[in-house]
Amino acid sequence: MRLMLIAVLQVVLTSLVTYYFVTKEYSDLSNESLITLEKFLIDQKKQELKNYTALATSSVDHLYLRSVPDNKAIKGVVAQIFDGLLYNGEDGYFFVYDGEGTNISHPKEPFRIGKNYWELEDESGEKIIQILLNNAKNGGGFYRYPWLKPSLEESSDKLGYSIYLEKWDWMIGTGVYLDDVYAQLSQLQNEMNRHTSKTKQIILVVAISSIFMIFLFGLIVNLNQKKRNDLKINQLGQRIITLQEDERRHFSRELHDGIVQILISIKYSLEATGRYIGKANIQKPEQLNKAEGNLKTAIQEIRRISHHLHPRILDELGLTAALEALASEFTERTAVNINIVKPAVRKLLPDNINTTLYRVVQEALTNIEKHAKATEVAITFEFQNNWLTLNISDNGCGFNQEEKYEQPAQGIGLRNLAERIEYHSGRFTVTSNSSGTNIEVMIPKSSFANHFNKTSFEAQK
Amino acid sequence: MTLNATSNRKISVLLVDDHPMVQDGLTACLSYYDDIQVVAACTNGKDALDKALSLKPDVILMDVSMPIMNGIDATEIITDKIPDTKILIFSMHESSEFVTSSIQAGASGYISKDTTSEEVYFAIKTIAEGKTHFSSSIAMSLIENPIRSENEKLTTREQVILTWIAKGLSSKEVARKLNISYRTVEAHRRNIRTKLNIESLAELVRYAVNHGLVDS
Repeated sequence: MRLMLIAVLQVVLTSLVTYYFVTKEYSDLSNESLITLEKFLIDQKKQELKNYTALATSSVDHLYLRSVPDNKAIKGVVAQIFDGLLYNGEDGYFFVYDGEGTNISHPKEPFRIGKNYWELEDESGEKIIQILLNNAKNGGGFYRYPWLKPSLEESSDKLGYSIYLEKWDWMIGTGVYLDDVYAQLSQLQNEMNRHTSKTKQIILVVAISSIFMIFLFGLIVNLNQKKRNDLKINQLGQRIITLQEDERRHFSRELHDGIVQILISIKYSLEATGRYIGKANIQKPEQLNKAEGNLKTAIQEIRRISHHLHPRILDELGLTAALEALASEFTERTAVNINIVKPAVRKLLPDNINTTLYRVVQEALTNIEKHAKATEVAITFEFQNNWLTLNISDNGCGFNQEEKYEQPAQGIGLRNLAERIEYHSGRFTVTSNSSGTNIEVMIPKSSFANHFNKTSFEAQK
Repeated sequence: MTLNATSNRKISVLLVDDHPMVQDGLTACLSYYDDIQVVAACTNGKDALDKALSLKPDVILMDVSMPIMNGIDATEIITDKIPDTKILIFSMHESSEFVTSSIQAGASGYISKDTTSEEVYFAIKTIAEGKTHFSSSIAMSLIENPIRSENEKLTTREQVILTWIAKGLSSKEVARKLNISYRTVEAHRRNIRTKLNIESLAELVRYAVNHGLVDS
């Protein structure tokens, strides 16, 4: 889980950093290209203006060069020629002012002719005509100022170019409107912005899908881990149970075949002692009788404990004999008869399966005795179709399966038994209703095949 | 203290118990009787088999729970090979399943280790004469759970023979394998057929496969 959070954080950080640098790079790049493009376009316009102006002047050169400075007639002809020189549709025209700022020719705004515009200012207070005149006198120059654009009939930025006809004290000017340059630039800007936002989206999508993938991956890993853990826990549980059963078997054997045998030998020694002093015609002392009696009790007690820990009959004679002993004990206690069907062969199963099946029957009989109020019990134990089947059924009142599964009042509990059976690759089914309970255990032959061969058979070879 | 003065030959007894202390205690008790003699003692079924074959005692006093080979399995083999030797099972186990298994294996008597040495002596004498003897508590359990042929189980020996047969060996080959007579093997085969209620060899083999005795 923590690993997942770290991974998500990593993705978020990477995305943010990428986003920051990419957008910064884009905006730097777009500013640079805007400036470059503007410069290029303006330069182009300037060259254009120079060319047009050169063309215009050369078209009047023949008149201008030959005339005297104050030939009003020629001046009038020239002004008329300029009036007629148009380019770029309506927006390219030439205007003429004299040295004092009086308009001499203006094809688009003829009302200006004859009026003085020395003091004409734009919005920022620049005196337009004076600057144009100044540029012209300095050998021709460019000036940007707002002016009415004929095709739009509204004011627009205009790049003006003016030259000076010294002999006449005239300033000839023309200009291009820059709104289309601006439009081009803003189009580029928009393009750039669109790219930037597209990149933003891509980064966002990649980041979100990465986070989603991380969560998905984490979920899968978690589920796998859980599955593995469950398996491990189950195996561990079975190992503990196996160890416990081994331990019980061991103690049982130690008590029954160790301690009890020693006590038996003491018993015979006491008997021999009694016989010895009897031979000497001495009355057998009361203490010796008492000791013999106590010893008998001790032997019985230890045998009872040993049997409780683990029935020795299971190891010595196998499961069927052990089940028969269990059944006759049950019948003796409860007076309920048990009908057993069993195979004629024995010692077929390994110790751990033997013990598990024995515990199943033991638990089933305990339940029957405590709750079922049954009058008949049947145990069927048979081998067929590659399965060992052990079935315990009664005609009692049944029980609530859920309850019984979850909270065994005493004993091992059916759930534990089911897990133990599954550990041997077997199946465990319990069905219970008001007319009785049926517990069925099935173990595949592969779990016990050839066991007899490996043990008893080998011993007799 | 001669209880049986008319007998001119002592009854030879082989003691089989995995606990030396029990052997000692029992030997001490039996030493008071002149007409029986403990000729040897051993601690497991396998040794008992060897000792019985070499000494051919009249009676074997045989414990059940022992390492390597238990007393019941040893009893079966010994009665197969030397039927004249009588076997008295001498065990802590009192449930009827042990008793019936012992009888099926060929034991002549069954007494509890919890009994007195007088009873041990008496039992040895009785079975040496060719009769049977059971402790009173054990006799009771036998009456409650009589041996019925229809639910008789195969003995370990019979199961071994069944396994050999299912593996494809003939009676002669089984006799050679187990070092017993052909007639004994045939007798076992008859017993197996009766107990399983199976006539044909094919069915015997199928039974063995079904119960995991041999691979299919």
